[in-house]
Amino acid sequence: MRNGKRNRWLMIGIAGLLCPATGALGQTPVLYTKWENFTTANGMPDAKVFSVLVDGNRVWAGTENGLVLIENSKVVKVLTPADGLVNRVVTGIAIDKTTGDLWLSTFGGVSRYSGGTFQNFTSLTTGLANDIVYGIAVQDDYVWIATTAGISRMNLRTGEWMITSERTAPMHEPWSYGIAVGDGKVYFAVWGGGVLEYDIKGDYWKPYTDPDGEMELVLFKNQGLIHIIVSNISYNHDTKMFWASTYFGMSGYDGHNWYNYLSTDSGLASDFINATQTRGDDVWACTDKGLSYLNFKTNTWVTYRPNAKTGKGEIVITGPDKKVTTRETPTSLAHNYIINMAFQGNDIWVATAAGLSHGYSESHKEGKSNEQARTGR
Amino acid sequence: MKTASQKRACRSGAIPFLLGVVGAVAVALWLASNSNLRAADSAVAGASNYLTPVAVKFSPDGEKLYVVCEDDDSVLAVDARTQRVVGKAKVGHKPRGLAVSPDGKSLYVANEWSDTVSEVDAATLQVRRTLPTGWGPVGLATDRPGKTLYVANSIGNDISVLDLASGTELKRLASLRSPHDVELSRDGRRVYVANLLPHLVSPDESPISELVILDTQTRMVSERIWIPGVLELRHVAEAPTTQAGYLLVPFMRPKNLNPLIQVANGWILTHGMAIVRLAKTASAAGAHSEVTQVLLDDVDYYYAGAEGAAFTPDGRYALVTHADAATVSVIDTTLLGKRLKSMPAAELPNRLDSAREFVVRRVATQANPTDVEVSPDGRLAVVVNRLDDSLTVVSIPGFQARSRIDLGGPKEISTLRHGQQLFHDAKFCFQGQFACATCHPDDHIDGVAWNLETPQLGRDRVANRTLRGISETAPYKWNGHNPDLETQCGPRIAKFLFHSEGFNAKQLADLVSFIKSIPLPPNRHLAADGQLTPAQERGRAIFFQKACDTCHPPATHYTAKTSFDVGTASKYDTSGMFDVPQLDRIYEKPPYLHNGEAQSLEEIWTKYNATDKHGVTSDMSKEQLNDLVEFLKSL
Repeated sequence: MRNGKRNRWLMIGIAGLLCPATGALGQTPVLYTKWENFTTANGMPDAKVFSVLVDGNRVWAGTENGLVLIENSKVVKVLTPADGLVNRVVTGIAIDKTTGDLWLSTFGGVSRYSGGTFQNFTSLTTGLANDIVYGIAVQDDYVWIATTAGISRMNLRTGEWMITSERTAPMHEPWSYGIAVGDGKVYFAVWGGGVLEYDIKGDYWKPYTDPDGEMELVLFKNQGLIHIIVSNISYNHDTKMFWASTYFGMSGYDGHNWYNYLSTDSGLASDFINATQTRGDDVWACTDKGLSYLNFKTNTWVTYRPNAKTGKGEIVITGPDKKVTTRETPTSLAHNYIINMAFQGNDIWVATAAGLSHGYSESHKEGKSNEQARTGR
Repeated sequence: MKTASQKRACRSGAIPFLLGVVGAVAVALWLASNSNLRAADSAVAGASNYLTPVAVKFSPDGEKLYVVCEDDDSVLAVDARTQRVVGKAKVGHKPRGLAVSPDGKSLYVANEWSDTVSEVDAATLQVRRTLPTGWGPVGLATDRPGKTLYVANSIGNDISVLDLASGTELKRLASLRSPHDVELSRDGRRVYVANLLPHLVSPDESPISELVILDTQTRMVSERIWIPGVLELRHVAEAPTTQAGYLLVPFMRPKNLNPLIQVANGWILTHGMAIVRLAKTASAAGAHSEVTQVLLDDVDYYYAGAEGAAFTPDGRYALVTHADAATVSVIDTTLLGKRLKSMPAAELPNRLDSAREFVVRRVATQANPTDVEVSPDGRLAVVVNRLDDSLTVVSIPGFQARSRIDLGGPKEISTLRHGQQLFHDAKFCFQGQFACATCHPDDHIDGVAWNLETPQLGRDRVANRTLRGISETAPYKWNGHNPDLETQCGPRIAKFLFHSEGFNAKQLADLVSFIKSIPLPPNRHLAADGQLTPAQERGRAIFFQKACDTCHPPATHYTAKTSFDVGTASKYDTSGMFDVPQLDRIYEKPPYLHNGEAQSLEEIWTKYNATDKHGVTSDMSKEQLNDLVEFLKSL
């Protein structure tokens, strides 16, 4: 039932009128016109990059074959199980900003990287629910861990482990993918279970699922979460919204209203989305057909993808009026299958199926119109 | 007739006559103390009014000494010139560590059993405030501006970073296992944290201990330095910059995988120090500090309990206390440097002919010297004699024990105190190789498994067991063959461990009295009102549903006081029957099972209960197992 299904809007016209992100012609989005790629050709241990985290000048990348540190545009460290990493497949990276420790989710448990050494946590040695771990996040003195057998939480002060699964929380299924720490809440992407919200102060759980329960149809565009197969989640501390990526579109929620997007009615490159990242008015969608950007305020879309024929980069800009223009750049993303991304100041780092890409931003063109942005003139 | 200790002192020192005199004085004092043994004693060590000083610091101007006394819950002020106690402040329960603020106006005392730090006005000795910390604070140090306090939490296995302006805890940094000593670097840029216990490793691996380096700018861990093959890192001393600023870290180096068939030639354990040359820069790419190990023992005599360490201000000499040998080794650092360069670093850790190259004096002290501090002017060193309630003042550069400062404890030596002294006295072991305390630091565990039972390499390895709260848990040993502590500590110890005559009847009785008096520490996982958390309540129900209480009955410290075969024997074990361990404070005792192969409580069931003989647990969910573990930690 889940695979190959396509959602279709039934009331696109009404939805278009309701969507507050549309209409206004605002600032031109920052464009990324120069790409530097890190692949197996220049030091990466594997082509597939699952995760990326920026810590000041350091960029950490989780690959299918180890953890990579990039400094000053060079791969300076590759850490594998031979160095103590619990498993070679690093699916997620989180940093405890108070201690500087890195927390790594892998397909063989969790590692803490601290002071140059690893400490490992597995389901055999600790209270971790399962060793297949997709996501990890640090919230105060807790480490949250998304596993295939539910959500684990480790109390760093007492060592106590808590497991949340379909047996103890309103989760349709326990398979969890991503975690985002919000303001007073922690959000979880649950495969087949929608978005699960944990209220830190109240210590209770609240699910968000597809309200129409339909895999096939979306009866009303912004009625709720677009689909229950949620692949990842991010939280925007500026707008107080979470953004859920699903394999059938993208949803944003501000606590009152939902904002749903499909490739059919927006500049989204694909409905198959692996992850979102967000800050300010920016929402990024990591899809299987490129990296899409949404300026939530202006409803302007930009998609970045490599041109398979020319090898150059392609920028597709979709304005609020749905007009589409393209630009070409000499360099491009390493691959169009985007798994995740991270911000570094004005730059971005993009994890793809064939390498890690560093996107350098064009200087922000204050006051330029969308038309100018489209044409590049 | 000279003792073996005296003989060694004579052979190794540059002025053997003086050393012989010092040693003779020490022995005379010890014998005098023993003549005052008291027949009866209170049942609990804590009920005594001994001071039990453990740590000492000079005031910045060198005019005062501050001494932390763990059994008196106090910090003493001693006038360095008159050598008299001039004041006392009562602090929290079981204080273990001391830091003096850079301006000398404040003292910070870590109260291990109160989980607090007492801030004391150094002038008035009034406690200004009490700051909460993590579990089991012991060592501590302020940063150079005196704004941040770093506290080693021995039970929480982490480091509290306290903001001294607000008195609040900013963060906790992971320290892995029983962090003990905390020292600020001379340039103020780093904080060093030594871990008492080693990493948890497989029973057939050598231990690895860890030295944690913190960056005082970021207040984060910049490096974790592994020191292989050793444990019990109790102190860190940093050489002056003129001496390249290396770190000196005393350790115990066990050969726990060898059968205990002989103790000679360093076959079982040795005592020494790590020389750590720090990486120039620490980065996330990985710092690479260099570690060299060198022994402080001699070929035919050992100096057990390498513990306190300090350099003279010019760095020419370093002093290391041997807590279980009542000795301070004086190291000529120039000669040490030559020794380190004389052979490959890989050879040094097992060479018993090193110390004679650079140890220029062995200074006899009173019982159990745990700490040493050199005065700011470099003219004297002060050694804390933990089980003598005194300080030994050592002149520099003569390195003679010049005087003994009486801190004011009882003059009589009680039965328990005598037993405690015996516990820390390595002379009962052949060539003074180790004392009871060597493998039971802080009356607890050393965290490794030993090949104690048979003379066959690799067979019947057993994990060290704690001595805390064991009075009512007979029989003893993992095979349960010792019905009482008298058997455990008497002929068995003499024959199989010490390879010596062991203790006489009176000594054995006193030693056993002391061991029986060792209390359990407070339980950090149990709420103050004794109420269980929801997870602990669920775990408690599972404990009884699964009939865990059959072998672990609550009424007898959760041990049936007999042996069972629960399927935990390996192919290296002669028998599958093992004594049921008590579960009190079980969370403080990893590794688990008889051979220490379970590194966590979870592993007892996730890895080593394949046949369900150790309780039928294969039907338990992970959530249930977590709850059971939470209940066990509440005991």
